[in-house]
Amino acid sequence: MRQALREALILLVAAIGLGVAYTWVTHQGFFMKVQSVPSPPNSNLEMISLVKAKEVFESENALFVDARHEFDFQQGHIRGAVNVSLKDFDIHVAHVNKIPKDRLLIVYCDGAECNSSIELSVKLMESGFTNVKIFFGGWQEWISAKLPIEK
Amino acid sequence: MNDCYKFHTLKKMKSFFSHTIFILLARIFLGGIFVVASLDKISDPQAFTQSILQYKVIGPTLALGTATILPPLELLCGLSLILGVYPRGSALLMSVMLIVFTVMVSSALLRGLDISCGCFSQDPQVSKIGYQKIVENCGLIIVSVWLFFAPNQGINLLQFFKKQPNKSLK
Repeated sequence: MRQALREALILLVAAIGLGVAYTWVTHQGFFMKVQSVPSPPNSNLEMISLVKAKEVFESENALFVDARHEFDFQQGHIRGAVNVSLKDFDIHVAHVNKIPKDRLLIVYCDGAECNSSIELSVKLMESGFTNVKIFFGGWQEWISAKLPIEK
Repeated sequence: MNDCYKFHTLKKMKSFFSHTIFILLARIFLGGIFVVASLDKISDPQAFTQSILQYKVIGPTLALGTATILPPLELLCGLSLILGVYPRGSALLMSVMLIVFTVMVSSALLRGLDISCGCFSQDPQVSKIGYQKIVENCGLIIVSVWLFFAPNQGINLLQFFKKQPNKSLK
């Protein structure tokens, strides 16, 4: 039993080392933010708060873009939002290109812990969109505030 | 007398060999499942984090930590079980992991969550959780516990790569 526990401990430590090294090298998992958060001086990306997102929503001047997976989008999303899931961005490109490039886009994902909104915003800006903002509080903050949603 | 001795030796060898092969097959089966299950998770930790969060049991930080450690742990355990390196340790870890997975799936089912398992694919539309998954996991738990307690751990495949001692030096 002691031998088995020793073996299990070695495997566990090796897995932790391997996991941390892999995510560090590939900039995923814990190290995702380091890779994907754009530095403000070099980027036009702007993070907006819930209050600002609500103002923009009520003014009806912006298009909300949901960066989450299609399945999550179907479960519920900000009213009027369109789904451009980061994972299937290439599939959505034709649809995205129909939106005027100067349209104000508010990109969001699940919440502060996810980075899809940032990564999608970068891709949208690379595609030529000039007015992209990130609602970093995302879906979780929106539903916590009981703001309009649809399914 | 000589024939009788030969018969018993052959019988003993046959029994031992079939048992060893059986253990090896079970190790390859269980280890293979863990290796295959780890690949999709390793390729997309972010999607796996979302799969974990769907269970609504742990928070985002812990889910991110789990998505970092669990896939390589599955891969290492699978490979070590197949190769016969630390077979008991990997069988122990696999039993613990499978029990945790089963508890998570059961809890999600009892709470009425309609989510995907996140076991082999991170696509939310694939492999929805159900009682079938619990039965499958229970079968795998039996195999892993049996491998943990098996008196014979089968063949260490790495032995084939080890150098044999040079007897001519004696």
